[in-house]
Amino acid sequence: MADASVIVAQVIFGLIRGILLGCVFALIALGLNLVWGIAKVVNIAHGELVMLGAYGAYFLNLFLGFNPLLTAPIDAALGLAAGLGFYFAILHRELRGKEAITLQSEMVTLVATFGLSLAISNLANIAFTGNFVGIPFDAGSIEIGFLQIPLAGIYVAVLSVVIISLTHVLLNRTYLGNAIRAYSQDIPAAKLMGINPTAVAAIGTGLAFAVTMAGGAFLTTLFPTGINPYMGALYAPISYVIVVLGGPGRMWGSLVGGLTLGIVIDVGQIFLGVEIAYAVAFLLLIPVLLLRPEGILR
Amino acid sequence: MNFGRLLRSAPTLWGLAGFLVVLAVWGPWIPTFVLTLLINLLLFASLAYSMNFIAGLTGYVSFGHVVFMGTGAYAWGYVVGTFGWHPLAGIVAGAAVGLALALGIGSVALRFRGVYFAIATLVTALAARNIILVIPALGDGQGIILNLGFEPLTWFYTIWVILGIQVGLTYWVTHGRIGYGLRAIKSDEDAAKALGVDAARLKLFVFAFSGLFAGAAGALNVWTLSGVFPEPAFDLLFSLQMLAMVIIGGMGTLLGPLLGAVAVYLPHNYFLTVAVGAEFIVIGILVTFFALVVPQGIVGALRRYVPTLRGIIE
Repeated sequence: MADASVIVAQVIFGLIRGILLGCVFALIALGLNLVWGIAKVVNIAHGELVMLGAYGAYFLNLFLGFNPLLTAPIDAALGLAAGLGFYFAILHRELRGKEAITLQSEMVTLVATFGLSLAISNLANIAFTGNFVGIPFDAGSIEIGFLQIPLAGIYVAVLSVVIISLTHVLLNRTYLGNAIRAYSQDIPAAKLMGINPTAVAAIGTGLAFAVTMAGGAFLTTLFPTGINPYMGALYAPISYVIVVLGGPGRMWGSLVGGLTLGIVIDVGQIFLGVEIAYAVAFLLLIPVLLLRPEGILR
Repeated sequence: MNFGRLLRSAPTLWGLAGFLVVLAVWGPWIPTFVLTLLINLLLFASLAYSMNFIAGLTGYVSFGHVVFMGTGAYAWGYVVGTFGWHPLAGIVAGAAVGLALALGIGSVALRFRGVYFAIATLVTALAARNIILVIPALGDGQGIILNLGFEPLTWFYTIWVILGIQVGLTYWVTHGRIGYGLRAIKSDEDAAKALGVDAARLKLFVFAFSGLFAGAAGALNVWTLSGVFPEPAFDLLFSLQMLAMVIIGGMGTLLGPLLGAVAVYLPHNYFLTVAVGAEFIVIGILVTFFALVVPQGIVGALRRYVPTLRGIIE
C-alpha cells in the first residue's frame, strides 16, 4: 500500500502545482484572449511577449535587484506602450475603417504577427544570448503535512486571479469596458454611439500586451531557470489552447482553460511522462473545436 | 492536348521546365559545394510547392506542416534502418506516410477555418513530435543513426524528380476544373459550396498532395543528414519557412514558391557567418512587410504593376 499512498501524494502535489501554474497560464492567455476577443486578431507573436516579460523581470532583478513580483507592474507599463505601438504600426493598417473584420483581415494579421514572432525571438537570441537564465527567488514555503508548497507560486497565482477579476470588472462595469465590448460586437453600431473605434482597439491591444508581459514576469517565479529566447514557442500554443477552451472573448473562460491545462500537464506528467502530458494538453484543442467551438463554458 | 498551344499559353511552365532541364543536364559537372547548396535550394522549393498546395490554393494557412516532414523522415529512417530498404524506396515510404497522415489530419482539421485551422495544425505538429519522442522503435527520442555515405548526385536527382512532379501537378491543378473550385473556396467558401463546389473533398485532395510531398521532402532531408533526429526532423522553423516562402513568392502561383524559396534560402547562406538566427530576423521582417504591404507576393505584385508581364508569369 506504500506505493498507492506515494501516488496519491504525487497526485495531490501535482494538482496543487497544476492549479498554481494554471492561474499564471490563465493570465498569459488572458492577454491573447483580449486581442482575439476585441480586435479579432490572433497574435502569433504572443509567446514572444511572454518571453520579453520574463526577460524584463530578469534584467530588472539582475541590474536593479527588483523582487520579481514587483517587476510585473513595470513590465505591464512597458507592455502597454508596446501594445499601443503594435496597434498603430501593424494592426491599424489592416483594421482602419473596417466595418467588420473579415476572414481575409484575420489571415493578414495572423501572417504579419507570425513574421514578427520569427524576427523578435531571433533578435532576442542575438541580444540576450541563447542561454537559459533565471531569477534566484525564494519566498519560503508552507508545509501542510508532507506537502511543501512554495509561497512564491501562491503569490503569483493569487495575483493572477486578481488581475483576471479586475479585467472582468473593467470590461463589464466601466464605460471603457462597455466601449470595448461594443466595438468587439458591432463596429458601425459602436461608432453611432460615439465610440472612437481606433482609440478603443488601441487601448484594448495595449491592455492585452500589459497583461501578457506581467504574466511573463510571474512565470519566472514558477520556472527558476526557464527564461530563454525561444520560450515563446511553448507558451504561445498553450495560450491558443486555453483561449479556445474558454472561448475567445470570455475572461473567465481563460481561467477555466488555464486551470484545465495546468492540471492536465502537472497531473498528467505523473502517469504519462512529460512529453505525452504536453501532447494531450495540446490535442485537447481538437475535440473542443469539433464539439464545442464556442468554448467549454456555457 | 495541343502541344503548340500549350507552349504558347503556358510560358511560366515552360520556363520552369527549362530551368529544371538545364539543372539536370548540368548536374554531373556541378562542383560538389555548389551541388550541396542547390540540393538545399531545391529542397526548400519543394517544401514551398508543398505548402502552396494548401495555403496558396485554398487560403488555409497551416503552421504545422513540419508534421508531414517529420513523420516522413521517421518513416524513411525506420524502413531503411530496420528493414534495410534502399533509401529511394524509403522516400516512397515517407511520401506514403505523409499522404496517409494528411488524409487523417485533413479530414478533421480542414473543418476549421482561418485561424482555427492554423492553430489546430500547429498543436498537432507539436503533439506529434512529443509522441514520436517516446516511441522505442523510433529511437526513444535519441533518433536513428544511419551512415549511408555522401551521395550528392543521387540526392540532387531525387529532389529534382520530386520538384518536377510538383511543378507539373501545380500547373494541372490550377488550370482545370479543380482550380476553379479551389479559387472559389479561397475567396468565399460558403458561396462556393452554395454553387455546388464539393469544398470538403477538394480541400482534402490538395491537402493530401501537400502532405505527400512534404513527407517525401522530409525523408530526403534526413537522408542528407545521415540520420533521423527529432530536432531537425520536427523543427518548427521548417513549417514557418514553408509559409514564409509561399507568402513572399505569391500565394497560389506557379512561379511564386520558387522565387520565395530563393528569397528565404539566400539569407541562410549569407548570414551563416554573421550571427546564429540572423537570417530569421530578415525572413520575419520580410513576411510582415509582405503580409501588410504586398499581400499578393512577388509574382502577384509583378503581375499587378508590370502589365507586360501579366501574360507571361503566373
